[in-house]
Amino acid sequence: MLKKRLIGTVIVKNGWAVQSFGYRRYLPLGKPECLVQNLDRWGADEIFVLSIDRSSDRLGPDFKLLERLGQLGLGTPLIYGGGIRSVEDGLQVIKLGADRLCVDALLHNDIEVVRELSRQLGAQAVIAALPLACRDQRIEWLDYRTKVSTQVSAKDLAAVTLGIVSELLIIDWQHEGQAGGFDRMLIAHASLPTEIPLIAFGGLNEPGQLIELLSHPRMAAVAVGNFLSYREHAIQKFKAQLIGMPVRLPSYESMYSLTVDV
Amino acid sequence: MDYHMGNHASVVHSLRELNYRVRVSNDRAVLNEADVLVLPGVGAFPSGMKALHSLSLVSYLQEQARLQRPIIGFCLGMQLLADASYEHQYTTGLGLIPGEVVPLINPQWHIGWNSVECVLQDPLFQPSDGQVFYFNHSFAYRGPSEYQIGLSRHHNTFPSVIRRGSVVGLQFHPEKSQGPGKALLKSLISGLSHA
Repeated sequence: MLKKRLIGTVIVKNGWAVQSFGYRRYLPLGKPECLVQNLDRWGADEIFVLSIDRSSDRLGPDFKLLERLGQLGLGTPLIYGGGIRSVEDGLQVIKLGADRLCVDALLHNDIEVVRELSRQLGAQAVIAALPLACRDQRIEWLDYRTKVSTQVSAKDLAAVTLGIVSELLIIDWQHEGQAGGFDRMLIAHASLPTEIPLIAFGGLNEPGQLIELLSHPRMAAVAVGNFLSYREHAIQKFKAQLIGMPVRLPSYESMYSLTVDV
Repeated sequence: MDYHMGNHASVVHSLRELNYRVRVSNDRAVLNEADVLVLPGVGAFPSGMKALHSLSLVSYLQEQARLQRPIIGFCLGMQLLADASYEHQYTTGLGLIPGEVVPLINPQWHIGWNSVECVLQDPLFQPSDGQVFYFNHSFAYRGPSEYQIGLSRHHNTFPSVIRRGSVVGLQFHPEKSQGPGKALLKSLISGLSHA
């Protein structure tokens, strides 16, 4: 049986891992490699590294960060998002060690590039990040670079995702970093294309909230960011609270042999 | 085997962690020295075969399979072992394990952690029976049941481990499957290289 996933998310700004609050306030956490290594050690189902300033500053993907992550020898699948401008960028990101790509700005800029990436890598390797808000029963899609939200319909979202991406990362950007903040209306709203599985992100930390989302038939995964940074073995502790859900059981594995050569 | 498709670093790291010596190459002289050939891969089948043809590795792999040299394919690497695929267009594969690669239907993708059930007795895979591994694919092998060692289920059942003699295909990514992936790689490589 296919399990639902708990994705550990690392937000990177200016080369540093940060806690992000509502797409506008950031607090430094440290080196992204350290956080990624922890998530790998703790048994996250996937690790999502999102470099949030690469597209807005037109820097392209953070290849140096990907090289450093590649040297860690991760045993966990890696998703990378941030600054992908072209097919070549996307292919290079995969070559450097990412298993999947997450695109956001590219959905606004050039959907044909996303389509070609999907053709070359397979749609299973491409995720669409959609920072959404629900206002007056309507869904608004944020272009995070301009901070402008536009009302969207199911048809609009289907046009940029259907047959091109394998999963939709639904980001509650307004409640990102806020405990228990994720707006369930985003998932229930009819504007989301029904054919594509969903990943929820933004303001997710409470067990009841995670269980409710993971119980949704279209929910393939939940992504947690800030709330994994406050304690050791955070992934295992989250998973221990999800017993009964179709997720992989938490595992504790030592990286070091417990026997000593004498 | 370096045929410019996907990421070799994870495979190299996971094998080195298991204390194997690893070389990444498409040079036959280097490949000839290896006990086991690993064919990783991320991407589309036609691009994979095109890359293997351009490096003159198709006939090399077919010859090595005839010599019963252990060959292991991961994900796209497994699919390339088959006779052909329908991804984008009909493309012939390496033909090392009879069968074809066909699209998954409803749902079109299989992404995430899923268990593998051993359906044929095989000492190399039996310790991994029921373990969960990481999958990320939209096409799957379809072929004779005698080559299907392990199955996985997602709405429909599909072969996730195939084997013909010393040629083995894994539809999942053992190098990205944490503890269970390493245990399987260890069992598989030590079993095939000492057979």
